[in-house]
Amino acid sequence: MPDIVSLCLNALTLMSILMLVALGLAIIYGLMGIINLSHGEFVTIGAYTLFTVQAAGGSFWLALVVAPVVGYLLGTVLEIAVIRRLYDRPISTILATWGLSLILQQAIILTYGAAPRPVTAPFEASVQVFGITYPAYRLFLIVFAFAVMAACVLVFRKSPFGLDVRAVIQNAGMARALGVNAERVYRRAFASGAALAALAGVLIAPLVAVTALMGVNYLARSFFVVLVGGAGSIPGVIAGSAFVGGLESLLSTTVPITVAQASVLILAVVIVRFRPQGLVPA
Amino acid sequence: MTQRDKTWLFITLAIMMALTLYPAFGSFSGISGLRDILLFALFAVSLDLFWGRTGILSFGHATFFGAGAYGMAVMTIHLAPGAAWSSLAGLAFGVGLAGVIALAVGYFVIFGGVRGAYFTIVTLALTLIAQQIAIGWSSVTGGDAGLIGVPPLTLGIPITGKLFYYVVVGLLFAVVLALWAGLRGQRGLVLRAIEDDERKAQTLGYNTPLHLLAVFVLSGLIAGLAGALYVTGTGFVAPDMIALLLSTEVIMWVAVGGRGSLIGAVVGTMIVWRLQQEVSTLSASAWPLFIGAFFLAMVFFFPDGLPAAAQKLWARGKGMKEGRTA
Repeated sequence: MPDIVSLCLNALTLMSILMLVALGLAIIYGLMGIINLSHGEFVTIGAYTLFTVQAAGGSFWLALVVAPVVGYLLGTVLEIAVIRRLYDRPISTILATWGLSLILQQAIILTYGAAPRPVTAPFEASVQVFGITYPAYRLFLIVFAFAVMAACVLVFRKSPFGLDVRAVIQNAGMARALGVNAERVYRRAFASGAALAALAGVLIAPLVAVTALMGVNYLARSFFVVLVGGAGSIPGVIAGSAFVGGLESLLSTTVPITVAQASVLILAVVIVRFRPQGLVPA
Repeated sequence: MTQRDKTWLFITLAIMMALTLYPAFGSFSGISGLRDILLFALFAVSLDLFWGRTGILSFGHATFFGAGAYGMAVMTIHLAPGAAWSSLAGLAFGVGLAGVIALAVGYFVIFGGVRGAYFTIVTLALTLIAQQIAIGWSSVTGGDAGLIGVPPLTLGIPITGKLFYYVVVGLLFAVVLALWAGLRGQRGLVLRAIEDDERKAQTLGYNTPLHLLAVFVLSGLIAGLAGALYVTGTGFVAPDMIALLLSTEVIMWVAVGGRGSLIGAVVGTMIVWRLQQEVSTLSASAWPLFIGAFFLAMVFFFPDGLPAAAQKLWARGKGMKEGRTA
């Protein structure tokens, strides 16, 4: 029984991070039909923001506020400088954002060095839940991530911006005809996705080694999430994250982590064969 | 035979002649270095076969190169060390492994209707996973350090030194010429029709997923062959032979040489390798930075590859000159 509880909580931790990272990818893909290979670098940027803020004497909570702002601003710059020029060339976007990802990685290595950087969680204590002792920070991470997701759902469903995004996903031409400024929607959605990835970077940083190449791990899993769940829908992202995060956590209790990840990929590919539009399409 | 075909044959045979004559002038280390580059060129040709002829970009072709490399290494070091036939078994195992992966992944993905950018992403994920397996399954693959001690290729007699070089040159051009000849006729036209508009090709009665899968598997087999031969030359296998970076470097080789011409991939590989030798001496970050900048520049300035851009520039220059005299 205690094993099952800790397994569930571990799965929820991974799922929480994946949700935040994949949401940006899924919305951008559903909205603009493009794939941002530098998305993982925004996770890295979030983690290094935490390191920089803490090294300067700031707290974890300050970084939790600063990182999304940094992500949003960099995302806006990237959208204006690169993505906007490639709207109708999806393959070119992949190549360009891959190039950008390499440049960002090396820029981080040149600035911070290749060695892992130390960051600390805001609290070290463990608490008793359902009969097991579990790190309080992980519990906070899960609750916080789900709260952010709930906020995203609210924005998506209730706010004027969310309405615009849904309209453009459904039919960009019609949305334009009705006066929606699609380009502005693209820019703001792209930047918001980057901000969420940076936020996820801060949250995951205390649990992993903070290096310039850490982002690529989350990038690959997030693509599985989008593949399995379906692009452009928040329920799809949640379903995909539960699938990828849950399965990987479950399998890695019995087999090596690499085999677990390979199995998840194989299953994801099989699912793509039979449900090309994902489990919960937009 | 059209004028275009004649030019292609002329260029291909000229390059082949030059490479055949090279050992008469080059040093021994120069020859083995060039041999490795030509095996990477064979790898680039395999990508060009798929990307160049179907327009679908695979971001994970190092998976097949690496499968060939690891297949050869594992067979010759673990499974059948010292046996007379172990090279041959390694070749079959490596190439077979690459083919099986291509067939399995290709079947699900291509028949699942995954195309365009999504296809690129699935193949990207494939390479990441393959690399993780290569690093993580250390009892078989040697983990981060890889495996040392792959014996030289032995097919009755040991194939090393100059002989290996000639075998590689012969194989490379046999593959290039065979693919060129095989794709000149209807098969090539069907692929071009699929690239232009797959649904239309389907409406005309062609089983387009089957065509794509056949090309994908053939491409994977050739990449596996290149990988298997490559490790018999270097004597070791390491995770960077199955890495995402190699998957993207091969895209760069093909793009530099111009996509779709097969021989362009060979030329592109040689040019980029020469460049890498220069750039890598600057610092460890220099080469990844260069690749990154190259992809950005390619997307914005020469989306159809360098030769097409050069041709356009040349045509414009000629046009201006004629404009002046007129």
